[in-house]
Amino acid sequence: MSASHQMLLGHYLPGTSPVHRAPLLAKYLVVVLVGTAVLAFRVPAVGLGTLALGVGLFALAGPRVLRAWAAPLRQLWWIFAILGIYQSILNTPLFALTLVSGMLAVIQCGRLVLLTTTQAALLDGLERAAAPVRLVGGSPATIALAVALMLRSIPAIATSVQELSDAARARGIGRNPATLAAPVVINTVAYAQRTADALAARGIMERN
Amino acid sequence: MIRFNNAGVFVPADDQAQEPRTILAPCTLELTESRIAVIGANGSGKSTLLRLLNGLVSPSTGTVTVHGFDTVRQAKAVRQRVGFLFTDPLSQLVMPIVAEDVELSLKASHRNRAARSAAAQQALASLGLGHLARRSIYDLSGGERQLVALCSVLAAGQDILVADEPTTLLDLANNELLQATLGTLEQQVIYATHDLDFAAAADRALLVAGGRVVFDGAAPEAVDTYRRLVRNGSLAS
Amino acid sequence: MTTPGQHLYVQSPARIGARDLALVSVFAALIAVLTLVPAVPVGALGVPITLQTMGVALTALILGSLRGGSATALYVLVGLAGVPIFAKFSGGLGALAAPSAGYLLAFPLAALVTGALATLVLRKATRRRFPWLFLAAMGGSILVIHPLGILGMSLNAQIPLEKAFILDMAYWPGDVVKNLLAAAIAVSVFKAFPAFARRRFRA
Repeated sequence: MSASHQMLLGHYLPGTSPVHRAPLLAKYLVVVLVGTAVLAFRVPAVGLGTLALGVGLFALAGPRVLRAWAAPLRQLWWIFAILGIYQSILNTPLFALTLVSGMLAVIQCGRLVLLTTTQAALLDGLERAAAPVRLVGGSPATIALAVALMLRSIPAIATSVQELSDAARARGIGRNPATLAAPVVINTVAYAQRTADALAARGIMERN
Repeated sequence: MIRFNNAGVFVPADDQAQEPRTILAPCTLELTESRIAVIGANGSGKSTLLRLLNGLVSPSTGTVTVHGFDTVRQAKAVRQRVGFLFTDPLSQLVMPIVAEDVELSLKASHRNRAARSAAAQQALASLGLGHLARRSIYDLSGGERQLVALCSVLAAGQDILVADEPTTLLDLANNELLQATLGTLEQQVIYATHDLDFAAAADRALLVAGGRVVFDGAAPEAVDTYRRLVRNGSLAS
Repeated sequence: MTTPGQHLYVQSPARIGARDLALVSVFAALIAVLTLVPAVPVGALGVPITLQTMGVALTALILGSLRGGSATALYVLVGLAGVPIFAKFSGGLGALAAPSAGYLLAFPLAALVTGALATLVLRKATRRRFPWLFLAAMGGSILVIHPLGILGMSLNAQIPLEKAFILDMAYWPGDVVKNLLAAAIAVSVFKAFPAFARRRFRA
């Protein structure tokens, strides 16, 4: 269940820094600006500059957040290494540096939003961002409900995976994902049906 | 008041050329008692009978009315009066935080956010659950979850509660807690259960077997009849 | 018992909204769970091989074009909003900067295509569905996921399209295996819920 817990809680590191308190829109604006700058100007100054800006913002968010800066490198370093070598041969080492630093800058700014914003605030933001669907006859509240339903289904499905894998092992079938997957999906469909009944019984999404 | 007018449910012949199946043979009932239990074997038609009460299943023949509202044509009016509690609270609770889930039920009646939140808090407090308001539904015990689900169902102001085996997943202590809570409700409660002591406490009980209501009357008698039928094997299909 | 005529059948009225919403949301969650089942990093640029693409194919095969596409779009949207449900618990707008961004954005479109193809073949074939469903899943992969994935890799990693194409080939064997799996699972789901194959989702 720890995996689904991580999903529910996200990567948030509590704090009271200016970055934590900044409005979500401003944080996303930084990500979009950094992304646009990196795409538009493929020069070392922009790549390295935005990367440095990112580190500065991490520092501003407090020591706990700053310590988390390097975490994704543990998984991503060899992608950057391969990309760096590849681009050094294909283009120039300087271009490789520009590209890798720019990519890392955008990824880090995106992470900073997640590290300094609660999941609830992120999803509120999503609902507000979905407001324009009204123009085409959609409903932001329905999208928000879909998101809530989805998030609360993740632990349920993860638990069903766990139970079926335990059951399979108890019967000596082993943990072959192929034999496990079909019952997981069938359970999932049944779970969706129960959810639909519960929504209908509570009068949620009533059409008439 | 709930009335079945010769209401029955069939499944049509499928593509695979199966015979049409009777899920619940047509029956005429008037359900007025405050506590009504529905007992019977798995697959006997109990759940279908309960689902007819709020329009989750439509009768194939005949009609079901609640306070005069037809469950098919006036489904919305019926759902506003009939709440439904499922066996598994996790498939019923939608929002991750207890208070948010109760608020979801109140969305139709309370447009104002602050008023809605206050009403949710009050609804929780009325069932003695006020302290759980900010908790995640995943941090609750099974019994607490079922009580929260009950609270969410009743928050919308229904005066009839239908519960499909509400205690099946609960341990003894939680089982008793839920039964005690159900006992205090002003609403009419119609519940299916395999717990025969729980069933015997009702004002009236329906025994369903093989898609038919085979006994309708005093709860202790219904339980005795059920025990006898199981013992001489007449329920084997 | 009266003989049930044509009009006598179990109906679930006025609930189309709730049922669609539940299916879309729950399948979006299924894609998330399948994505986070431990990933195998393969390929030069480390676009990880996960059951994510299987989840997308499966969702489309089972739910059809519109519902499958909506479920997949919901998954991508919630991930981009910042819930860590992409491979290796990543999420957020930063995912758009990674070399794998094209694959991610291709998923909803691929689900639309696979779902439409699946609905088409399910109408024709009532037996021996497995090969047809496999082909429907491959259709989404070949027509949408790989082209957009290659495009994304080429843009984000600044490599020529033909080089990106060669890198993309590393995923082909895994893709075939996952689409075979998705088709096999879909066949057993349609056995359990025959109405789904007719795109009728009522209980």
